[in-house]
Amino acid sequence: MSEDLESRLHAALTPVAPRPEFTQNLIARVNADKRTEANTRGHRRSPKATAWWLIAGMAASLLTAVGMQHHLQSRRQTESGLEARRQVIEALHITSEKLNLAYEVIKSQSSSPADDRSGV
Amino acid sequence: MNKAAPGFSDEQLAKARAGDAAALESLIRAHESSVYSLALRMLGTPELAEDLTQDVFMQLNGNLRTMGSNTHLMFWLRKVTTHRAIDQLRRRSRFEMTSLDEMPLVSIADGGDPLLQRHLQQLLLELSPPARAVLLLRYQEDLDPAEIARTLEMPINTVKSHLKRGLEILRQRISHPESRRCEDKST
Repeated sequence: MSEDLESRLHAALTPVAPRPEFTQNLIARVNADKRTEANTRGHRRSPKATAWWLIAGMAASLLTAVGMQHHLQSRRQTESGLEARRQVIEALHITSEKLNLAYEVIKSQSSSPADDRSGV
Repeated sequence: MNKAAPGFSDEQLAKARAGDAAALESLIRAHESSVYSLALRMLGTPELAEDLTQDVFMQLNGNLRTMGSNTHLMFWLRKVTTHRAIDQLRRRSRFEMTSLDEMPLVSIADGGDPLLQRHLQQLLLELSPPARAVLLLRYQEDLDPAEIARTLEMPINTVKSHLKRGLEILRQRISHPESRRCEDKST
């Protein structure tokens, strides 16, 4: 009885094919899905490439920051040098004026006794 | 699958994995009957079976690269089909009964009694989803209890218990149609 039922089940449960239109639609849909996936994969960067680009970007940012720092420091040094130069020139100018003034005073004093001797 | 000789080789599978459209079509044609039959006999209607078959093959398309061999592919197809069918049936609030007229008539060419075969398929739909899956994997796919246990991820003793109990219920309902009850649905 048991074997009889089992053989009947075997006979009753042979595979059945779906409608031919369903098969055609299924194949078309799976192929379309495959193409879409392939296109998406083509545009998508791999994780390795993404990591590489990330590291490259960080290195570029670091170099830019160091460059900017260097540029600003150099500009500050130039400005302070120019300021020092301007102050030195101004100091020389003032000194020169004072020397001129002193010279004029000495010159006028050295010419005064002669006038006294001849006039008095 | 075991009974339905797929006629699909590992070489063809490798081609399908590499994106060969013709090999992918062969794969679908070789395995769709088994997937569709499992889905149909689990869910009971051709519409639901077609939806499930399509979902399974679309999922396979995304996982094709992980299929190492045709054996692995067949195991995967059976496993995904039965698990998804059981999940669908569990989500339903009640198990829908399909009338005899709605059931597809299959395999009348082997000399069996078509009415009895249809009756057996109807009785299978009255079993609980796990018991139905066990009987289908055993008698449609020709898997042994150990293979069924691996496919359904259940202990082998549970598989044997479902087989024994399922056959008992079927035998009882064939010989005493008036005793048809949904006694197995609680299991």
